[in-house]
Amino acid sequence: MSAARSISNEFNSYHWFVKLMMMLVVVGAVSAIIRFVFGLGATTNLSDRYPWGLWVSFDIVTAVPLAAGAFTLGAIVHCFNIKKLEPLVRPAIVTGFLGYSLVCVGLLVDLGQPHKGWHVLIHWNLQSPMFEVAMCVLAYTTVLFIEFLAPVAEKFGWKLSIRVLRWFELPLVILAASISTLHQSSLWTFFVIAVDKLHNLWYNPLLPLLFFMSAICAGICIIILEAISCHKWMGQPNEDELLATLIKILPWTIGAYIIVRILSMIFLGGRPVFDTPVMTWLFAVEMGVGFILPFIMFSRMSIQNNVRFMGSAAALLIFGVIMNRFNVSMFGMMDPNEIYFPSMIESLVTLGIIAAHILLFVVIARHFPIFEHHTEPEEHPLPAYSRS
Amino acid sequence: MSKVNIKKGNVFLIDLTKCTGCRGCMVACKQWNQLQAEETDFFSGEGYQNPRSTSEHTFTLIKFREYEKNGKIEFSFYKEMCMHCDDPACVSVCPVNAFVKTPEGPVIYESDLCIGCRFCMIGCPFNMAKYEWSKKLPLVKKCDGCYSRIKEGLEPACVTACATAMDYGPHDEILKMAQQRLKQFPDRYLDKIYGKDEAGGTGVFYLTSEPFEELGFDTVTKRALPSYTWPALSLVPATFLTVGAGLSALTWITNRRERIEKEKNEKLDKQNSTESKEEQI
Repeated sequence: MSAARSISNEFNSYHWFVKLMMMLVVVGAVSAIIRFVFGLGATTNLSDRYPWGLWVSFDIVTAVPLAAGAFTLGAIVHCFNIKKLEPLVRPAIVTGFLGYSLVCVGLLVDLGQPHKGWHVLIHWNLQSPMFEVAMCVLAYTTVLFIEFLAPVAEKFGWKLSIRVLRWFELPLVILAASISTLHQSSLWTFFVIAVDKLHNLWYNPLLPLLFFMSAICAGICIIILEAISCHKWMGQPNEDELLATLIKILPWTIGAYIIVRILSMIFLGGRPVFDTPVMTWLFAVEMGVGFILPFIMFSRMSIQNNVRFMGSAAALLIFGVIMNRFNVSMFGMMDPNEIYFPSMIESLVTLGIIAAHILLFVVIARHFPIFEHHTEPEEHPLPAYSRS
Repeated sequence: MSKVNIKKGNVFLIDLTKCTGCRGCMVACKQWNQLQAEETDFFSGEGYQNPRSTSEHTFTLIKFREYEKNGKIEFSFYKEMCMHCDDPACVSVCPVNAFVKTPEGPVIYESDLCIGCRFCMIGCPFNMAKYEWSKKLPLVKKCDGCYSRIKEGLEPACVTACATAMDYGPHDEILKMAQQRLKQFPDRYLDKIYGKDEAGGTGVFYLTSEPFEELGFDTVTKRALPSYTWPALSLVPATFLTVGAGLSALTWITNRRERIEKEKNEKLDKQNSTESKEEQI
């Protein structure tokens, strides 16, 4: 009885927005069950013309770069040794862990034979980008899980685990960055095979590099948005000063992306480029609103150290990356005679996955020490280096 | 019934100038593969063929094409089927090796392995991999070049059924036959064999009298599809090691300064503490 009461107390103590998220998660879960009961053909608008739809375009292709913050920030803090950004690392790891776990959920919902998913582990095809990405996503989800164990161990006071985890921290950060470099880029090798299908505005042999670069930008912007919203709605301290440091990186990464993007389109892309007005518009919005505008905003900010538009600039860039992923994986391959539009079930499952991400983040943030600054090494000394 | 040399890579030759559109091949294909009938509809736009397109129930389809020639309406037929590429995209993209290019010629699909990711459908330049959208646990469906027949030395069902336009046999022989026809009747054929170079070479050769694009053939790259993704994928181990090693080195360098400073401070502390102890004594 008391368990039920504590659950209901827990539920009632949440903001209405979180309750809305809970509702969306339930609706999404029910939709997923309907999808499994009636099958892909009956519940989705997928077809032989559009074998990949919203689930691949958003739950996998877009969600992976949006979860890139964890490895980017890990590398910035530990490898480039910008230690003052450390307070942002844990929320980023939680976001990354949730993001990748939900990518796996999305993948299972999308697979036609989900019960055979484990075949990837034994029937290796080294020529397949999908094989490479599947292995990387599995490995990286495991790494993120281990990194996520640190706040769990702290919460329950498992001293030994804390020590062991701290010992593994650096190797894990480096492993995370290496694995992410691989799959953030290889995920987009998928579309290099769509030679005569993907529109020339997006198709070019440098897709893997471009996707990796934009994933880094997206990852940093997600961290910014997350810190701002945690400050605004979850009573966390204002991290603007830290974010101002982080923002100094962005004009360089976005600028590099824009340069490589445009050069590769001019020199490596196919012709014709601007032959369909709709595609040209999609491209213009993606590049103009999603990359060039935030680039200008971020570069101004770092000069004047003015963080006023930080949130909106980060949101614009995330919009640009989402737009880019959809352009590559969906719109750029669209046949004007037969337009794909996601079905109700597809949309509800995807909404449920987004809501699950927000909901789980809020719940974890409430129960685990992810915002508190790290306990100093002295508190849990490690024989390896603290005594030397 | 002619026997097939099963040892060498076999290819189809489809001479569209000789096709009468009887669709015997479609019936034979349905019968041999035990495919169910499809409800069909009348539609405008491309062709008046029936059904509209290949699907999980229809592995081969005779497409009907109307076009204008010298101010007159002409029509032509075009048999659509899996092209059995020499270096197939489906084989390369499948994460679990469910597709196999057999030495006999056909590209076959092992449904036991398939996880249902549908990457083959994205990869296939001819859009010939179809999905069982009607099933709850769907698999990929496509023409398997009647592999079970070939292994027994029989021709594929559609070739057996075709009265006029299809031939089947070892790659070199069939290519010679096609080239001979082009040479012998230059006014009857367009001087091109579709499928010889498409996607790096396929197992189905087409001859026509009209430009292939007008008949509804897709313009497909001449390079083998896996050669597009392999350059990126072959970099994977090197990238992994480079990034890993680079970041490790970077971490070591950036942390070194900190460590040295720390050690200095510790030494100073020790000295101070020993000095203070001595003073106390």
